[in-house]
Amino acid sequence: MRQKSRIKGGLIDRSKEIKFRFNNKWFRGHPGDTLASALLANGQLLVGRSFKYHRPRGVFTDGSEEPNALVHLRDGAYQEPNTRATMVELFDGLNATSQNHRGSLDYDLLAVNDFFSPFLSAGFYYKTFMWPKAFWEKLYEPIIRSAAGLGRLSMKDDPDTYDKGFLHCDLLVIGAGPSGLMAALTAARAGARVILADEDFRPGGRLNSETLELGGMSGTDWVAQTAAELASMDNVRLMPRTTVYGAYDHGIYGALERCTDHLADGGGKPRQVLWRIYSRRAVLAAGATERPIAFGNNDRPGIMLASAVRSYANRYAATPGKHIAVFTNNDDGWRTAADLIAKGVEVPVVVDSRDKPAPIDLPGIRHVAGEAVMNTIGRKGVKSITLTNGQVIPVDALAVSGGWNPNVHLTCHQRGRPTWRDDLCAFVPGGDLPVGMAVAGSANGSMTLAAALAEGQAQATAQLDALGITAKATDLPQAEDEPREAAAFWHVNESKHRAWVDLQNDVTVKDIKLANTEGFRSVELLKRYTTMGMATDQGKTSNIAGLAILAEERGKTIPEVGTTIFRPPYTPVPIGALAGRARGKDFRPYRLTPSHKWAEENGASFVTVGNWLRAEWYTRPGEKGWRDSVDREALTARTSVGICDVTTLGKIDIQGKDAGAFLDKVYANTFSTLKVGRVRYGLMLREDGICYDDGTTARMGENHYVMTTTTANAVTVFRRLEFARQCLWPDMDVHLISTTDGWAQFAVAGPKSRDLLRKVIDADHDISNEAFPFMACGHVTVCGGTPARLFRISFSGEMAYEIAVPARYGNSMMAVLNEAGKEFDAAPYGTEALGVMRIEKGHCTGNELNGQTTAHNIGLGKMVSQKKECIGQVLAQRPELTREDAVRLVGFRPVDRDRKLIAGSHFLNKHAPADMEHDQGWMTSVAYSPNLGHHIGLGFIKSGHERMGEIVRAVSPVHGTEMEVEIVSAHFVDPEGERLRG
Amino acid sequence: MADFTLTSEPPLKGFDQGFGDTRLHAPADLAIVSIALPLGDEDAALKAIGSAFDADLPAPGLSVMGKDNTRLVRLGPDQAFAIFTRATPDAEPHVQTLLNGAAYTTDQTDVWTGLVLDGPLARTALERICPIDLHPDAFAEGAAARTVMEHLGVLILRTGPDAYLLLSASSSAGSFLHAVETSLLNVT
Amino acid sequence: MIIDHPLLGPRDAAEFVYLGDAALIDRPDWQADDAMEKFHSYGYLRDNPAGQHQELWYHEQGDRSWLVVTRNTLTHEITAVELARDVARKRGRGK
Repeated sequence: MRQKSRIKGGLIDRSKEIKFRFNNKWFRGHPGDTLASALLANGQLLVGRSFKYHRPRGVFTDGSEEPNALVHLRDGAYQEPNTRATMVELFDGLNATSQNHRGSLDYDLLAVNDFFSPFLSAGFYYKTFMWPKAFWEKLYEPIIRSAAGLGRLSMKDDPDTYDKGFLHCDLLVIGAGPSGLMAALTAARAGARVILADEDFRPGGRLNSETLELGGMSGTDWVAQTAAELASMDNVRLMPRTTVYGAYDHGIYGALERCTDHLADGGGKPRQVLWRIYSRRAVLAAGATERPIAFGNNDRPGIMLASAVRSYANRYAATPGKHIAVFTNNDDGWRTAADLIAKGVEVPVVVDSRDKPAPIDLPGIRHVAGEAVMNTIGRKGVKSITLTNGQVIPVDALAVSGGWNPNVHLTCHQRGRPTWRDDLCAFVPGGDLPVGMAVAGSANGSMTLAAALAEGQAQATAQLDALGITAKATDLPQAEDEPREAAAFWHVNESKHRAWVDLQNDVTVKDIKLANTEGFRSVELLKRYTTMGMATDQGKTSNIAGLAILAEERGKTIPEVGTTIFRPPYTPVPIGALAGRARGKDFRPYRLTPSHKWAEENGASFVTVGNWLRAEWYTRPGEKGWRDSVDREALTARTSVGICDVTTLGKIDIQGKDAGAFLDKVYANTFSTLKVGRVRYGLMLREDGICYDDGTTARMGENHYVMTTTTANAVTVFRRLEFARQCLWPDMDVHLISTTDGWAQFAVAGPKSRDLLRKVIDADHDISNEAFPFMACGHVTVCGGTPARLFRISFSGEMAYEIAVPARYGNSMMAVLNEAGKEFDAAPYGTEALGVMRIEKGHCTGNELNGQTTAHNIGLGKMVSQKKECIGQVLAQRPELTREDAVRLVGFRPVDRDRKLIAGSHFLNKHAPADMEHDQGWMTSVAYSPNLGHHIGLGFIKSGHERMGEIVRAVSPVHGTEMEVEIVSAHFVDPEGERLRG
Repeated sequence: MADFTLTSEPPLKGFDQGFGDTRLHAPADLAIVSIALPLGDEDAALKAIGSAFDADLPAPGLSVMGKDNTRLVRLGPDQAFAIFTRATPDAEPHVQTLLNGAAYTTDQTDVWTGLVLDGPLARTALERICPIDLHPDAFAEGAAARTVMEHLGVLILRTGPDAYLLLSASSSAGSFLHAVETSLLNVT
Repeated sequence: MIIDHPLLGPRDAAEFVYLGDAALIDRPDWQADDAMEKFHSYGYLRDNPAGQHQELWYHEQGDRSWLVVTRNTLTHEITAVELARDVARKRGRGK
């Protein structure tokens, strides 16, 4: 298809042609085009349907503020909704489709909404879909969701990749327009580390769109020369296609770089990178955005911002029409007329709302002063405009200029409020800027090119000065410095037809007036009630007009009415970019135990414990379900010997002259008296007296202890120990370092454990019961000299050891232990069998030490020493926590031994009603005991220690179960502990 | 009784891959011993370290190369790492003997897993995961920092103009390698 | 946020873990007659001002030091960062 609306000039590469598709029709464009400019060049004005009324809409702007031209880009799983055609760089094979219509774009079935518009005014959701209540979920919401809204997701996994990163600089310059380029150049020449980011793919900002001259050369030549100098300096990082979307604390900025979006094939590289930029200082040179004027039927395709029409003509060599009228309330709009005429496009009329002579002399131009456009005729385009003086003028496009709004957004991200400038009729950045930020150029209300350049240089110089870097002032290029007059003219009162303020959300002047009448007078309420300023454009072109109309209605000034707060992101950031590469199995790190490989090779099934993957059981041939494996493993450990990787338990190396005294303070019980070569169980309390963690600590030397923590609390116990060491007892000589990952540690449990270990531990180490009794520890060597640590401790209740070797030998050690254990029919066991055995012994884990229970509750009240200072000892003595009838940890078994117990069940006395008032406690842990042949449980019940043999009810309303259970000792197996000491 | 022998299998053993001119590999036999300075006896400990390694312990955030290619890294006021090459699992007693009881030592060899990243892409790749400023003015040769990369604690050391040694927990070696490798792939 | 570590220089707050009021350093005497009352205040009645506040931060993904950070909770402005160990000693804590 011919590019029928392509005109001369422009910053496009006509030597190359790019083919692309829009709504399955092929078009052609050139490198340098955006999708929007290429569509315009091809005469395709209609690009989408509006949000609510499904009105035909066309390209309205030339940048990220675009409210209308939102398309689905690419296809299949790659499809991205709500992509702004004005920001999409054209590439070969690009495929875009319009959104928000049922049927074709030309004949949208939902355009019928437009006829129902009287019913769809502001707040129509709240008014229309109230009754009957039940209809909301089943009828109204699904209909609204399918009819309204913007683009649609592909509903497939996003096949693109994303990444994140971190950058550092002395000066971040946001925006590569004239003031941004000048700021970057000034800082770069001074040797500062500079990042220059701009959302456009071409630096230059408005200079690319205007016909302005600088220092005797064209604006675009100056941009090219400046950009080339910056690119040649290694202290500068130029970041085109990068939107700085948020200003965060202490000079941190969020930026989204679109790396491969402009390529037909991204080559498997991340599509976008989300950068965290640490800047010492920043210059915001984000430019300004032109705003429209609201008048009747001002939303038709072909009606565009005057600055955008200029951009398309000058930069992209494309025009929305052959006869383009200009409607302006300020001098700047006249530039569009001048530039169009220079490009050979006819300008039938310039309508200026001000009753004054033309600011530029355009020979032969028809100038209508002091009037306005009040209506347009056409459907999928403009055929004519009607002026307030009744004249009807045939046109095929209309350029509208309502003045410029400085892009103050990032100045407000830390709740700074912009201030109103009457001369500009616009908000400019207030005094309360984010730390380290300065604003330059039109973003700061310096609207002429000369002022923008000067301010860019001045702000960069001042920012560097604050960093102790001296920048040399250089002569600024000569540039235009004519102040342009703006007028406070927001909407055409005479318009009888609907006049759009917010094109993206279909909010009209009438909607705003209605909201005010109905009492939604605060700007924040107005926004939510009318939806003005919501969605992808966040009201970049509409907010100020909306505020102005509200102010008018309330008889106040715009600054009195105030603005809504700007929050990050400046433009939309895909969720995929926020996720970065943290997807699927890479969502978070995983930790493997040293014997993971062996476990995989030997039928293990794994369970996630924090970041760890632990073997939960090892399935053997013929076993039909997990219980078969777990029962066998638990029985093996009780009758012969079982081996379990317990590396995940936290290990903290504690050394120092005061190590023992330190442990006395952090544990409820005493450790300074522990003999070298011995291990002790330790209970740690929180300062409020609640149990925190438990484990064993071994004294390896006079000044050397090795503490173990639970797997779950390894990190937080270490943190608390450091707190105690640095903040509470800073003069203790004690040093902490984690060795969790350094030692592969295995529990070897069962009556044959010693026999097995004798085959592995080198013979010069005596591990007989006499030489190495229960709770002994020491250094040994294994397999011919490999250093190891041996602990005679038992979680299973059997005669048991834990043996630790340097982690690099862990996998091999697991294999050796199992090989050596063959003659005893040894078996590896996983976390499930470990759990079964600890419940059989009444040992606590996180289920019991759940942050609500005390030493008194778990039957270890006497362990809390009152003879020495320790964390938690004072508040543990609070009367409520030491009540005689407090819950106590005991065992439970079902009266009907065939029944399965349920963890979380609450205990009730025999005939008591099932309510909280009669609650007696709760079941914490349950398991099937293969040793006893029935289910067993642990739990807390009031005065449990005095109620042995009593029958109570275990009720779980969640499961709908109730059964009788008998209170028994928590030590189901070997209550006297003879096996441990064997 | 040595009927059984143990095989050493550090998690990233033998990993070595090129990404253009940039190389990522797991150094063999990297030994790490932490050294804690006893409270009140710091001077004696520093002196012992100085004579044991023929180098003075630098300030926190820095490292120096000492005798026998031992890199001394100061992690905090009272903590340092000695990093050297040693195949046998006796790094801690080795250092303890050198220091002769003047400081507390703990074997950290198997706690960590190391990757050496060397080449023109090294810094560009690290930009994707490392929040620390690695510009030579801010992070010169010898600089050391503990930080977080992809949720993993990492000790990063600059060992050359384009060379870095990264240490992270050995149990999460797979995730660690993935993090660094992905960064390289993404910038190659 | 960025915390300017007194030994290591500026670090991203992501490396740190927050605890709260630096009054947690002032742990009461366990043997005092009113120890129960004092510990109750210590544990439960801490300040949470809108404005300047001394807080404990832990450099978990760093050198494992506890810091006392003086921060304005309204603006996030940080005016002082000290090693908690030094602060604790200054406040009379020892063994």
